[in-house]
Amino acid sequence: MTASTLTDTLTGAAAPARKARRSRRSRRSGREGYKVNWWLTALMIVASLTVLLPLYFTVAMALKSPDQIGTGTGLAWPNPMNWENFAAAYVATNFPRAFMSTAFVTVLSVLGSLASSSLVAYAIARNWNRKFFRGSFVYLLSAMFIPFPVIILPLIKQTALLGLDNPAGVVFLHVLGGISFNTLLYIAFVRSIPVELEESARMDGATTWQVFRKIIFPLLAPMNATVGIFAFLGSWNDFLLPQMMIADPSLQTLPVVQMLFQGEFNTNYSLAFASYLMAMAPTLVVYILAQRWVLSGVMRGAVK
Amino acid sequence: MNAALSGNAPIGRRALLKFAGLAGAAAILPLSGCGAAPSTQNGVTTLRFMQNKPEVVAYFNQVIKDFEALNPDIRVIQDFNEGNFVPGLVRNDPPDVVTRGFAQATADFVKKGIFADLSDMPVAATIDPEIQELISSWGQYNGNEVSALPFSLAAAGVIYNRDIFEARGVAVPTTWDEFVAACETFKAAGIAPIYGTYKDPWTLAQGMFDYVAGGSLDVAEFFSKLNGRGAAITADAPESFANNFGPALPKMLQLASFAQNGAASKNYADGNAAFAKGQAAMYLQGPWALSQLVAANKGIRLGSFPLPVTNNPEDTKARVNVDMALSITRNTPNMAAAQRFVNYLLEPSVVNTYNEKNAAFSPLKDAPAVENPQISGLGASVKEARYYQGAGTYFPPSVPLNNYVQSFVYSKNGEQFLAALDDEWRRVAERTAV
Repeated sequence: MTASTLTDTLTGAAAPARKARRSRRSRRSGREGYKVNWWLTALMIVASLTVLLPLYFTVAMALKSPDQIGTGTGLAWPNPMNWENFAAAYVATNFPRAFMSTAFVTVLSVLGSLASSSLVAYAIARNWNRKFFRGSFVYLLSAMFIPFPVIILPLIKQTALLGLDNPAGVVFLHVLGGISFNTLLYIAFVRSIPVELEESARMDGATTWQVFRKIIFPLLAPMNATVGIFAFLGSWNDFLLPQMMIADPSLQTLPVVQMLFQGEFNTNYSLAFASYLMAMAPTLVVYILAQRWVLSGVMRGAVK
Repeated sequence: MNAALSGNAPIGRRALLKFAGLAGAAAILPLSGCGAAPSTQNGVTTLRFMQNKPEVVAYFNQVIKDFEALNPDIRVIQDFNEGNFVPGLVRNDPPDVVTRGFAQATADFVKKGIFADLSDMPVAATIDPEIQELISSWGQYNGNEVSALPFSLAAAGVIYNRDIFEARGVAVPTTWDEFVAACETFKAAGIAPIYGTYKDPWTLAQGMFDYVAGGSLDVAEFFSKLNGRGAAITADAPESFANNFGPALPKMLQLASFAQNGAASKNYADGNAAFAKGQAAMYLQGPWALSQLVAANKGIRLGSFPLPVTNNPEDTKARVNVDMALSITRNTPNMAAAQRFVNYLLEPSVVNTYNEKNAAFSPLKDAPAVENPQISGLGASVKEARYYQGAGTYFPPSVPLNNYVQSFVYSKNGEQFLAALDDEWRRVAERTAV
């Protein structure tokens, strides 16, 4: 008896329990010909394992005591679990202070990237017929060809002279460093917004700023999500810039402070992973809450 | 509506500009005030102390607390982010007191005059001159300055599992033949004599290469002659690798033959985990591995001995490196406070305690004998200055020595190995010749 004839025979039955089973079955080989593609499902399982397995290791590692780390394949769940790793990592990194510093850098970088890049992109896209604006676009793009490590020492000197050898300087450079790529994204999107929308607003007497603030910026929402995500991940995880720029060790960000667990010859794996997990938590939470926008935002960016 | 919008607009723009201007000014004005000015507030001087060993951060926090209790006019901030040292120099605001492992890389800073001369400090006289020589052998600023005072000397040899040695009735070998016999005994009993971690090539270079080279020739003298020859070095010159390292190579291969099966696929972390579980009798690692081994197995009983490479016990030497050396940056505005801090760190009670607790040797002349059973086997070598700095540490970073050693251990082609080293050395010498 094939699955489809089974569903056919079940269609007549009225018992609610059977009905429930039928609906489950019909999902597998329903009337619309929907079939499970087992190859694709297997592929998806493998793909999700590439994310879930490392995540599992991270959580398991964070709960192990030092003598549990060396034993077995590493896949075993620690028993007993060592919750005090989190407390120890929290104290050793002075977590709240490092967290606040990282959050300060990240929030301002995201807001700064959104504001500056969208303004620049709007100005350039709507003045495309003028040479100056076209030239400035090429100028901004050309910044993408300069590898960051090449300019880091001059930048350190410069920021020190300006008194920006602190998290504020890191924010400034994150915003600045993102402008070329973000502007590229925004310009493509602004071009797709019909100029007629703006013209009608101008007919009502709106100024350029009002047009941007009330019409363009809200319409940029999907691209704002994309740029915001890039900016968030970029500055939350950034290591090199804070490491070299922030002179005062007490203002250092999480990724740098976490080096504490990794000596040249000694790695305190359990504390390190506990600390990584705590640092990852905001990103994970934001992702789980904002999943829908993250995916749609990334897709918008890909197509337009 | 129209009127309202157009009326608002200019104000909005003006307000915006004003806001931007104010914000810009506000961002720059107060910040530019706090540049590299001397860091004294209310009579309390703030020192920045940079050290590069994250594992002893907590230990130094306690040392600093004790120091501050005795010196209420000084506050010390510890910074373990060594990556910020060069940026600190660039922004002309380096940390006041620095400790680094002392070898070629730090010597480069010394040669550029980054560190102050400490020879006038009274504590300089309490340092064992043989250990101070390890530092000055890398070059001195102006030819005679003391840019760094040793704080901790790490001695490396063969780490062995005391339980396995005792169970097989094997004594600590003092000659090469005894060492080989011990390995044969373990092998016959089905125990891996040595745990090899060849996947991490640095473990090969610091282990068998440095130990065998250091035991069979005078490393410091060899490299000073080699450097004297400069770019003129060829494989047939008397100073070449080919003409000096030849006798050492068969012993390296013999060491390699005593490693467990599958050493090629094990890295340093694997090695620590396996050795802690008693999977081999000996481990060619330095004291830095001890804490990892004990962390993985609290009950393990470890010892160390210098690898005997000849059959004359008098020749046996330990590989040492100055693990921490204290320096004061030349331009610090807090020189007096920095000197007081360095003085405090080199007080016998502080420096001896640190080294006793961290499986290292104190650099002081009259340091007490080491009691830590994990490293006491190296004590005699250190006391009598029978030691050398690893041959691998003399190589410029542009010569991938570790990889050459690794490929030699696999291919067993010694001629090719030494010829490659001579070639590489000449290439670098040609490039860097002034």
